[in-house]
Amino acid sequence: MISLVVAVLREATPMIYVAMAGMLAQRAGVWNLGLEGLMITGACAGVVITERVGSVLAGVAGAVLFSVLLSVLLWVVIEKLRANPIIAGLGLTGLGLSGTDLAIQAIYGSEAAVTAPAGIPTLGPAYGILGVLDVLVLLMPFTVLALWVLLRRTRFGLRLAACGEHPFAARSVGADPGRMRLLALVLGGVLAGLGGADLSLGGLQIFSINMTAGRGFMAFAAVIFGAAHPLGTTLAVLFFSLVEYLGIKAQLVFGENAPRDFILMLPYLATVLGIWISARLRGGAVVNSAELRDS
Amino acid sequence: MSADPPALACSGLTIRFGDFVALQDVTLTLGRYRIHAVCGQNGAGKTSFARACAGLIGSATGTVEIASRPLRIGHVAAAREAGVELVHQSFALPPSFTVAEAMEFGLSGSTGAIFFRRTLNRRWAKHLKALGVEAKPKDRIRDLPVETQQAVEIARALAGDARLLILDEPTAVLAPGAVDALFARLRRLRDSGVTIIIILHKVREVLAIADTVTVLRGGRLVDGPTEATEVTAESLARSIIGAAAIAAEAPEDQAALVGASIPRGTHAQPAAAVTAPLLSIAGAATAKTGDGPALRQIDLSVGAGEILGIAGVEGNGQQPLVQAIAGLIPLTAGRLTLDGTDITAMPLAERRRRGLRIIPFERNTEGLSLSSALWENWAARGLLGHSALSLINPAKLRAEARAAFTTWDVRFETVNQPARSLSGGNAQKVILSREIDEAARLIILAQPTRGLDIGATAFVWHAMREARKRGLGLILISSDLDELFDISDRVIVLQGGSIAGDFTAPYDLHAVGTAMVGSAAA
Amino acid sequence: MKAASLTVLRAIAFVLLALILCGVIFEAAGFSALDMFSSILGGAFLADGALIQDLRWACPLFVSAAGVLVAFRCGYFNVGTQGQFYLGAIGAAVVVALLPGLPGPLVILLALLLGIAFGALWAFWPGWLRIRSGTDEVITTLMGNFIAGLLLIWITSGWLKDPAGSGQVTASRPVPAAMRISDSSGVSPTILGITLLVAIGIWVLMNRTAFGVLGSLAGRNPVMVTWQGARLSRLGLGAFLISGGTAGLAGAMEVLGPDGRLVSGFSPEHGFTAVLIALVANLSVSGTVIVALFFGGLASASLFLPVIAGLPAAAIDMVNAAIALFITARAWPRRLGGVRR
Repeated sequence: MISLVVAVLREATPMIYVAMAGMLAQRAGVWNLGLEGLMITGACAGVVITERVGSVLAGVAGAVLFSVLLSVLLWVVIEKLRANPIIAGLGLTGLGLSGTDLAIQAIYGSEAAVTAPAGIPTLGPAYGILGVLDVLVLLMPFTVLALWVLLRRTRFGLRLAACGEHPFAARSVGADPGRMRLLALVLGGVLAGLGGADLSLGGLQIFSINMTAGRGFMAFAAVIFGAAHPLGTTLAVLFFSLVEYLGIKAQLVFGENAPRDFILMLPYLATVLGIWISARLRGGAVVNSAELRDS
Repeated sequence: MSADPPALACSGLTIRFGDFVALQDVTLTLGRYRIHAVCGQNGAGKTSFARACAGLIGSATGTVEIASRPLRIGHVAAAREAGVELVHQSFALPPSFTVAEAMEFGLSGSTGAIFFRRTLNRRWAKHLKALGVEAKPKDRIRDLPVETQQAVEIARALAGDARLLILDEPTAVLAPGAVDALFARLRRLRDSGVTIIIILHKVREVLAIADTVTVLRGGRLVDGPTEATEVTAESLARSIIGAAAIAAEAPEDQAALVGASIPRGTHAQPAAAVTAPLLSIAGAATAKTGDGPALRQIDLSVGAGEILGIAGVEGNGQQPLVQAIAGLIPLTAGRLTLDGTDITAMPLAERRRRGLRIIPFERNTEGLSLSSALWENWAARGLLGHSALSLINPAKLRAEARAAFTTWDVRFETVNQPARSLSGGNAQKVILSREIDEAARLIILAQPTRGLDIGATAFVWHAMREARKRGLGLILISSDLDELFDISDRVIVLQGGSIAGDFTAPYDLHAVGTAMVGSAAA
Repeated sequence: MKAASLTVLRAIAFVLLALILCGVIFEAAGFSALDMFSSILGGAFLADGALIQDLRWACPLFVSAAGVLVAFRCGYFNVGTQGQFYLGAIGAAVVVALLPGLPGPLVILLALLLGIAFGALWAFWPGWLRIRSGTDEVITTLMGNFIAGLLLIWITSGWLKDPAGSGQVTASRPVPAAMRISDSSGVSPTILGITLLVAIGIWVLMNRTAFGVLGSLAGRNPVMVTWQGARLSRLGLGAFLISGGTAGLAGAMEVLGPDGRLVSGFSPEHGFTAVLIALVANLSVSGTVIVALFFGGLASASLFLPVIAGLPAAAIDMVNAAIALFITARAWPRRLGGVRR
């Protein structure tokens, strides 16, 4: 049981940080489909900088920095150039995936996986089975709690929600929705960078091309499933991770008899199931038409 | 009091949106501790003026001074710092917020402090009680009736240190009785030291509340501020309408257009319905939806050559009623009959084929696709008669649209321009040209004149009377009782999803107003 | 007319902006941006046989992009082109594997049809979820891509696996020559004919049928057409099925045409590029033809680059991604002589 909890936490934590980034953006009124790109960038920068500089702290800081830069770029494109957030987000994701691929080849001359000499500090063997948990996993509950307080128990959180739900209302009390969105995306950039770094530096201390494998998109789906609430979103990620863990477990138990490719599909299917359920609960269609959203 | 600096002084205030000039060179000084009415027809620049004073319009030029201190233009925080608060016509409160959250989110000052829900609720409960607002801090904004939403928004505006309260058309959504209550509240506020600017467009209401009167027309200041005692209904109506001649067919129209006196429906032609009902609704009921309460036991019929008016405070079942007649929401009980045919189970396309026409509530979202070409907007109805893969001839459709627009006097350059480029009145004419065609039998007009200037309103009224002459049945849904009384042959009142009254001319404003608020407020 | 040329100019301007962004990144990564762009351009359009290579990639890309523009115009963000493309390829390979004895043209016809059907099926379920319960189609179609990729691996490493194959990438047995619609050059009368047929069909659909006009209206404002009595569910499902069908057709064309077999993980950027093509062309059919030729060139260059110039193929993906980032922008920044407000 404890091993299950540890494994799920280990798997879920990077995605939770990234989902928190998506949640902040969602609340401010930005559909952030660039999360996948932010995550892979964070993962890549974390390992590469750690490997080059030799300091994990520098690696994590670099991951955060790059992720914030990309978030600001997304803000400029959506807010200033008024691009469609969905397409721009997918573009940012593409930029992250191809950019990290290019960077690895530019630095190491091949597409092979890169290993960092050190990872994010863990509790260590002294704590037995809990020993594999790293600092970011341990900080995760506090981060989620802090975000919950920020969003649900401060005037800032109310204003951020107003910017997403009714920008005119926010403007007429003196809040600037554009600036609030920048704030949400930058703060989200920090979180997504941490999530990416935890993905690569937290476990095997390896970065390989395309290693996020849709986790950023799943994080986004978790935001939808969790109704952009910090706790709901976290639970949604935990659910996806649990499904993934059970799949891996089934493979270990049944070995060759388990259809490996179908087990790998489970998290994606769980994601579809999750947002289908949330759509049913919400009981209505999302308005995707730009014309209606503008008015 | 004359020693006090003026509450608001603006000079050369001009607002441009692209090529369009919303407000031109307005210079105006308004004294303290009084109720100033700013009036004019739709499109006169009233809302732009109010928003500019509240710092919401960045492109405004000129100067605005509050209590002799210059205000940074286009800066809401600065305006609120100076004590200016604006209550919007369609309220600016996020619908998912609780009342307490909606009060809290707008407070200026530090935004990072952590609050507890209980203290928040207690604090705002006290504030709401002090102002006599009947809303609990835990209520969701979207669940409140419009008049309570308005009271909450006024309470929100007064939460800080408001010295100049601007209300944009606050009476548009209220029942007659609630207007009186609002006015009483505003007088109390004035007496407690708040200066009030109230935007209005009805002469009657201006005379009832204002200490001074200012008239805007076409973005210019044409009159005022004048002491209300020096203004008469006739002089005010003249300065609101201007020199432009209005095609007033009925003597009461002019008075109804500016809200000078209450029309009593002297040219109503009732009793047509009884002989040959075109549309009849029997025992209809629906489930509750996001747009309004559940309909209960709706019985009504509209005859050929009759205009049935439907009155009611917004959100009392008007939207579900139109949606039910259109077939967009299902009936849980009852029957709909159009021209003798039971249409209860038919989809909208089939109902339209049988002559049902609808001019929906929201012109810019439900009536038109603003980013689509005019001809596409016009052709939409005709295309539904065909199967999806049937071939069409766009050139022919364009030519037909052009001809229809010309007949309906739409001012347009080409049929390819997007609907967004038209003014409100012209856009409504496009919709009329689409919905009032040869095959139309019964037309539902939901708020057809909302936001239109006097000329365009008169045009719509004329079109309705012409349609009645042709023997069509019409249902007019409006929150403007002047309009309803002037046009309708009969008026029914919707309240809480039921029919709360059925009236024939001569109409009694007090009786209709009482029916609109129902027993709760009686 | 003026508005149309402005649209084209804006598209070109934002593509250039994307290229500049890529140039900066290339330089930062230690590549020479100028070298890179000249190799890309050379590889795409100027080298010997480049134009044939361009057509080889442009044809399937166009076929998919034509479907994408239908879905987008109707207001549905079907970004599951990649998955629908894979399903179409699987459908074609299944027909080839199941009916080895039948005459070639018949197998080809059935393979193309099953490809279309499989692609449409892979668009059907996200469409159904979207229309019945408002489930966001961006997520479902993206997840569909991942699932389809795994299905492709499963079928090429299992039932359809070529026992003679080796190495990391699994593939099916080669398609017999009689059932091919082109050699490995990927350019043949059949492929060009199919592409032309799709172009004409989609053009007529979008410009000369009630579906096209109503769908475009619904894409901009679904509420308005609902009040006119349109059944959005039918229009919407139609749009999903058509876009899935064309992507499936493109997948089948790859298997029966240039690829000649079903390879796991083939053309991984196909779907994203097809979406991009439709967007750069501002969802116009004729524009899509031209833009597909441009991106076909880039796709072929991504094969040239590593071989000839020693540059990573990811550079092309990056160019595509940067274009996607900017292409839907509707405004100039105010500082650069803004349009309004």
